[in-house]
Amino acid sequence: MAITFTTPARASFLLRMPKLPGMRFLAGNKKARLALIILVPILLLTAFASYLPLQGPLQTNLRAMMQEPSFYHPFGTDRMGRDVLARTLAGVQVSLLVGFSVATIALVFGIVLGTIAGFFGRTVDRAIMSIVDIFLAFPSLLLAIGLVSIVGTGLIPVILAIALADVPRFIRLQRSLVLSLRSRAYIDAARTVKASQWWLMSRHIVPNTIAPLLVAGSIAAANAILVEASLSFLGLGIMPPSPSLGNIIRDGQLYLQQAWWISTMPGVVILAIALSLHFLSDGIREALDPRARK
Amino acid sequence: MLTYSFNRLLQLVVTTLGVVTLVFFTLRLIPGDAASAMAGETLSGEALDRLRDQMGLNKPILIQYFEYLRNLVSLNFGDTITTGLSIGDLLLTAIPITLAIAVATIVLTIIISIPLGTLAAYLAHKGHKTLDNLITGTAMLVDLMPSFWTALVFLLLFSLTLGLFPASGTVSLDEPVAFLHRIALPVLVLSVTQIATMARITRTAVLEVLSEDYIRTARSMGWSELRVLFRHALKNAALPIVTVVGLSFGSLLNGTIIVEFIFTIPGLGSLLVNGINSRDYQLVQTLIVFYALFFVSVNFFTDLVYKRLDPRVQF
Repeated sequence: MAITFTTPARASFLLRMPKLPGMRFLAGNKKARLALIILVPILLLTAFASYLPLQGPLQTNLRAMMQEPSFYHPFGTDRMGRDVLARTLAGVQVSLLVGFSVATIALVFGIVLGTIAGFFGRTVDRAIMSIVDIFLAFPSLLLAIGLVSIVGTGLIPVILAIALADVPRFIRLQRSLVLSLRSRAYIDAARTVKASQWWLMSRHIVPNTIAPLLVAGSIAAANAILVEASLSFLGLGIMPPSPSLGNIIRDGQLYLQQAWWISTMPGVVILAIALSLHFLSDGIREALDPRARK
Repeated sequence: MLTYSFNRLLQLVVTTLGVVTLVFFTLRLIPGDAASAMAGETLSGEALDRLRDQMGLNKPILIQYFEYLRNLVSLNFGDTITTGLSIGDLLLTAIPITLAIAVATIVLTIIISIPLGTLAAYLAHKGHKTLDNLITGTAMLVDLMPSFWTALVFLLLFSLTLGLFPASGTVSLDEPVAFLHRIALPVLVLSVTQIATMARITRTAVLEVLSEDYIRTARSMGWSELRVLFRHALKNAALPIVTVVGLSFGSLLNGTIIVEFIFTIPGLGSLLVNGINSRDYQLVQTLIVFYALFFVSVNFFTDLVYKRLDPRVQF
């Protein structure tokens, strides 16, 4: 689950991409299509989970404990007879919420602070980047663990902790994007016709950074889903009985031998989601940068 | 090189001070304070005040900060709040274990992933699409598997079903063979992810180099394919690979926390998780600072190696 997306060298490569030309690429790009083929069914199942003929995710059934996967319980049942599929789908809801929220928070703060640091330079830049460097001194999961130990467990604290660990990475990415855009000829041209700083930033710089940020954003979402699962697995994230993919797997850990499905099935789902988000990211990159196509 | 190292070292010191300061003041932001958070509902009034005195929380915050710095510099980490054990001693027993796991993982990763990545690049270069796709596809899939899940699957397969490795039991450095046998499975779990990452990076880096003129020149001089691949291509592709070895050290540290938890290995990660669960802020604070310093130092050495490989890099 090693995910690195903000080396400066790669940032300048990402910049070669033009602006985002709508979403037409989703149909035309092979990887993006593959991502949708995995993601859409998961999204639909999750959205309509309550209409499926399944037990509620919290509902126990002591007469059907630890049953193998079957037609009525496709993912089997756990030690309290709860349906693992229903719990997994509820967990996917949490995962998607975490992934989306973290990516959004990281993008917004990354764009604002990264643009300020890169565009104004000097003292502002040094102030922002020295704080960023301190945060980057922590491995991401460790930072999230540390933050959760302070803000507490539960959905909102977990989102905040993971987002706070991601924001510095996005500030750094956005800053390096802005730095290499700042010296482009068209920016000089805009300056010569007396464009204001705000105009330069909002019309010429930020729009050109959106595409590479989206590529990084979808990877950050995948990463956030994995970190949330890890936190919940360690007992530091979403607390049972509320299901999350991580704590379902933790539940099943004790019954690995008698009921392998409890831990295995949610893991496969996490893997599928992470994989599709990476395909999506590759797809966006390929659609926007002809050079990335092979 | 010397100026560069010095500047980089200076930056290291500044970052370190920043980390220590950040951790110290963040832990003071806890609603209530560390004492009441730790005691929960069990203490009140006078007893709580005595605990605060004992933890030095009644002194002015700046005094606390400088005392904390002084203690860190003199490697005096104090005692754990809950069990009263010396944190220094706990660290001394835990560090070798975590370090052994990390080093074994890195060695195994390098031995396997670099030849594998180079092979995949060579295959791609020669147009053997299927084999290349097989290697890169598997690598991507493995790379994205959550490490705790991989650990459980491996535990189920190799330990519970095949009985090849112990799933639990004592961990002692005094018996090297038993120790290696005990950490083999965690190392395997961590390596699988690391190998996937490294092999992908190696493939990309080598593939890029393979179409360079000097590779053609090397071939035209009649060197064998193996020599061209490993002496000429890999050497020039080393730069991004070294960077990633450094960067992935962070994910390796993350991974050790998880495998230690699953395989109940008494390393730094288990200390951390237990410390958080028992709200032992003194211990957690020390561990987090320690992890960060470890990570920052590795990055520092990576940068030095990088600079040595490519002298054009500017500070």
